[in-house]
Amino acid sequence: MLKVENLVTKFGSVIALDGISLAAAESKITTVIGANGAGKSTLLRTISGLERASSGSITWQGESILEMRPEEIVRRGIAHVPEGHSVISELTVEENIEMGSLFRRRKFKSDVAAAMDEAYQLFPRLHERRSQLAGTLSGGERQMLAISRALVSRPKLLLLDEPSLGLAPLVVEQIIDSVNQLCRSTGLTVLLVEQNANTALGVADHGILLALGKVVADRPAAELKADASLRAAYLGY
Amino acid sequence: MDTFLAALFSGTSRGAIYALVALGLVIVWRGAGIVNFAQMGQAMFSTYIASTLINNGNSYWVGFFVALFAGAAMGAFLDIAVMRPLSNKKKSELLSSDSMRAAVPVIASLGILGVLQALAGIIWAAEERGFPAPAAQEGFTIAGNVAPFTSFDLFVISIVLFTLLATTLFFTKTGMGLAMRATALNQEVAKLSGIRTNHTRTLSWAISGAASSLAGLLITPTSNLSPNTLDLVLIVGFTAAVVGGLDSPAGAVIGGFIIGLVISFITFYSSPEDVFIAILVVLLLVLIIKPRGIFAGKDARRV
Repeated sequence: MLKVENLVTKFGSVIALDGISLAAAESKITTVIGANGAGKSTLLRTISGLERASSGSITWQGESILEMRPEEIVRRGIAHVPEGHSVISELTVEENIEMGSLFRRRKFKSDVAAAMDEAYQLFPRLHERRSQLAGTLSGGERQMLAISRALVSRPKLLLLDEPSLGLAPLVVEQIIDSVNQLCRSTGLTVLLVEQNANTALGVADHGILLALGKVVADRPAAELKADASLRAAYLGY
Repeated sequence: MDTFLAALFSGTSRGAIYALVALGLVIVWRGAGIVNFAQMGQAMFSTYIASTLINNGNSYWVGFFVALFAGAAMGAFLDIAVMRPLSNKKKSELLSSDSMRAAVPVIASLGILGVLQALAGIIWAAEERGFPAPAAQEGFTIAGNVAPFTSFDLFVISIVLFTLLATTLFFTKTGMGLAMRATALNQEVAKLSGIRTNHTRTLSWAISGAASSLAGLLITPTSNLSPNTLDLVLIVGFTAAVVGGLDSPAGAVIGGFIIGLVISFITFYSSPEDVFIAILVVLLLVLIIKPRGIFAGKDARRV
């Protein structure tokens, strides 16, 4: 289980996260929603080690990961798919996926191949395009590729940042469905950041609403979805 | 016709060496984002080590391989001892702008160059000495005529081609090579994939160090060895890398051969004094017409 307590992250004098506490329950989808600038991406980037927190704690499976480098955090089973389809355009699709499993290639040689096969089964279009450069893929395919790269590291916790950003509704649905399926069938824990609150709350078990770097609501997703006043105040619809 | 062939052969052999120097520069540039001006200082230092070993009665090949190893070790050491602390985020926040932060390691590399040259002067005395070649430096004799091509040229070209092939295979076919390419292209995604980018960066310094030491070993038999002999080679190699595109290893290699041929043809058909001007003209033309280099890849598409 992931536990975040009183987390503060600053960029110079700007406070992006202002004392956040939350937990991501095992084998569940927890979604973090909120308007632009609420600190959602910063939260994920601090958990995965890309940003340094100024105070607070992050505990993963009983161990503090606050001071660790991103590459060590991945090795402990937390995979982060940052915002904006983060793939390497100059590498092929297959190389992008393989990249996520490089650190396991010696110890778990046979499982690396199996993990790659599973990723291809989840997103067959990537298999068709495996020798193409990632830069030639569509936005949706890049998102699938970024997720696949994360999955072949065999994570126990998947941090997904705005997978719906800039994608057509049909593609969003397909990607969210795949993640949901994965969570239910393999017991993967998911922390899903979304601006598209409806989609996210529809699939999540638990919802956390952020505003200006603070947690304003922390409830079961269905409850949050039904609360019209909260929605109107913080999400604007 | 004889002059033409002589210029062609000598240019190819020289170009092979410049290709190595340019490749070394490109590997560190892509892997660590630094133009390493100390590179040929490292090469000079390891060539002196080889020279000392050979003068003390060891075989050429002992000196050769120890120098390559020393070049790699020195590269790795410089990264760990100098460059890594300099890129430490907390300390570099003291500097106000990104461009200043980017300048620090480059200036440090100039400092390292100075230290290495001074050290070499203290240890080995700052006078020129010869360095042996492992193969004959007289032209082949074909049907009674001396051809403008020596066994040493052949040795240089084949060992450089072998090195280029080996590095290409390493970068494209191995997991470590993929990790290094990923680090060079996008550090954040590489780190999130679990790649220890500190290690891959050190490895790129080591490979670059070995490649430039090889260049030093191959060029000193025709130019003698002193603490400053390789300065000009760095400038020529840097020009080659810029001509081919600092981002492109293949471009750097081709740039090396182009510059080698330009130098050789100018030397044979005009005079050696014009070489430096010719290099600068080529550099300026490339910078004006294709500033990113002839073979630079397209800018990555940003969405």
